[in-house]
Amino acid sequence: MTTTDAAVSAPEIASDETRRRFELEEMGFKEVPKKWRKFYRYWQGPTDVLAPNEVICPVCKVVIRATRELRPGDKVYCMPCMSRMVVVVGEDGRLEADVVF
Amino acid sequence: MAEFLAQYSIQRWMEMCPQGYLEDTVYGHEPDAREPDELLADDDEREAAIRTTVSLVVGERCALAASSGLINAAPDHASKRFLATQTLDEARHVEIFTQRLYDLGVKKDDLESTINRYANPNLVKFAETLLEKVDAGDFVAGVVGQNIVLEGMAFTVFELLETGNREFNPKFSQTLKGTIADERRHVGFGENRIGSLIQQHPEKKPEIERMQQEMTYYMLATFSDSFSNVDPKSRPQPDAATGEADFHGTNLATATPEEMEAVLANTVLGEFKSRLARVGLEYQTPTVPA
Amino acid sequence: MTTVDVDDFDPHALTEQDFLDQVHSFQFWFDSVEGYLTDRPYGRPDATVEEPIDDARRDRLITSLCNYCVGETAALDGAAGLVQLAPDRNSKIFMATQVVDEARHLEVFLHRLRELGVGDPEREIERRAQPALVDFKGALLDLVAEGDWQAAVFAQNVILETMEYTVFRLHASTADAVTKDVLAGVIADERRHAGFGENDLGRALAIDPSGRVRLREIRTRLDAMVLGVFEAALADIGAPVEGHRQLASEYLDTVERLGLT
Repeated sequence: MTTTDAAVSAPEIASDETRRRFELEEMGFKEVPKKWRKFYRYWQGPTDVLAPNEVICPVCKVVIRATRELRPGDKVYCMPCMSRMVVVVGEDGRLEADVVF
Repeated sequence: MAEFLAQYSIQRWMEMCPQGYLEDTVYGHEPDAREPDELLADDDEREAAIRTTVSLVVGERCALAASSGLINAAPDHASKRFLATQTLDEARHVEIFTQRLYDLGVKKDDLESTINRYANPNLVKFAETLLEKVDAGDFVAGVVGQNIVLEGMAFTVFELLETGNREFNPKFSQTLKGTIADERRHVGFGENRIGSLIQQHPEKKPEIERMQQEMTYYMLATFSDSFSNVDPKSRPQPDAATGEADFHGTNLATATPEEMEAVLANTVLGEFKSRLARVGLEYQTPTVPA
Repeated sequence: MTTVDVDDFDPHALTEQDFLDQVHSFQFWFDSVEGYLTDRPYGRPDATVEEPIDDARRDRLITSLCNYCVGETAALDGAAGLVQLAPDRNSKIFMATQVVDEARHLEVFLHRLRELGVGDPEREIERRAQPALVDFKGALLDLVAEGDWQAAVFAQNVILETMEYTVFRLHASTADAVTKDVLAGVIADERRHAGFGENDLGRALAIDPSGRVRLREIRTRLDAMVLGVFEAALADIGAPVEGHRQLASEYLDTVERLGLT
């Protein structure tokens, strides 16, 4: 299964008016080219809280950010570790990302 | 030795390249630079540009395989680290010349078939002669073959192309300037590193000189093939009045293909002779290709 | 049909192939490292002040760095060999970037050793290197020499790099200021290396699961070598007990995602 097969496409996400929009700004993450930096940030530890447009990459533990509220089935990419993922609901009811090969 | 090899550190590479001549470039040139419209609109010129660029890709793929292959054979950490930077330089060259093929209209799906179609068999043989030594783990022969013969050839070829494209195709010219800067380091390492190793292993000289002779044969054959494909009338003419097209005394704007082949070959061979002599090797003249 | 604007430069809107072409390229690597290595000679800003380190801590730090150098040399030689084995152009170019990353790691760790007063780092490395790590290096290079791309990528980019990624992060949390800065740049690189390994193997195993048999065999042989070394490294850097659990669990999570448990 690829992310293309499994996931909700970007145009569908963009056209879904029920999803909240988020204006992203850089948060000090500099490990990818400039134009992509605002889409990632460092996880700050146990006191950190994920926003509705964020999930943690299970491979490299960086926080992935999107311009729209995330929902199960959404495709996301982690550029720092080059992984492709689908957003799923975790055991604790919170959104997580599953790596898709 | 340690002090000399410190010049070839990763730190130095970072200061020279990303923070130097590659800063703010994309695929080796200004972000908005394009191939000239006149080139893209003329099928013959575009094909000639593709043919030339395929040769560059083939050469760089060989250099990538050779430099990465030599890392394991390197006798000291500093040489390993230098060859690591060379490996990355060569990968960058593969990437930027491949990108140029796309910029010239080659479709991604057609990349390998285009390369197979235009790759010069003599250039392929040139590469195979070198890679045989690398695969055998022969560091001394490998560095001579790569950093003196291959890179020495590339250095001069890039200079020729850069001179010829300076006025007409600033995008390609800037790309080449970056590769020339890289080749300076590669050739410099080859010369500076190998001299002492040749002194320590004089028994390797005959075998290395034979390799050089064989590689030179294939190189000259490649030049001969390349220039026999050039139609002088259709070439874009750099501005002869500015004198910007002078290459080692030959005006590329007005030179015939034979004259260009001659100046290229003579320049490369002249460089070979002096570089090889500096490292204690004797240049071997190949038989002249038919 | 309604046309919809997708946000400019939205990485999540890339097609899979465009994403892979992007992240495996030299250009991506170049623009990435510019972000965290510019004006950081030997991996750290000049302004970072060396703090006092007592002799015992310094000695343990030297041991850690010496073993990191062995690991980085293994990865340098391994990655160099893997350039030749890489099955496609994107992987070749990515591996070339990994080659220079590993060379840089070796260089910055050697530099740090000299800063700590080690006059002959090469000799010190020989003296302090854990035999199991030296054996691992030999085993990795054997896999490369055999031309076994999957096995070598697993050994290097999954076993070695995943464990290094965890250990370096744990070390950075307890390190002196200079070592911490140096490790920050190394950690950023390791994200790419570990990520490449997991994703490249994951894609290949998704197409042909029979490869798992060989990789499980490699695991059996090599896991314990590397785990033992990094457990010892955690002791040297004074990592808390949770660190040992984290080392094991992060690695095991990776092998589970690859179906190699």
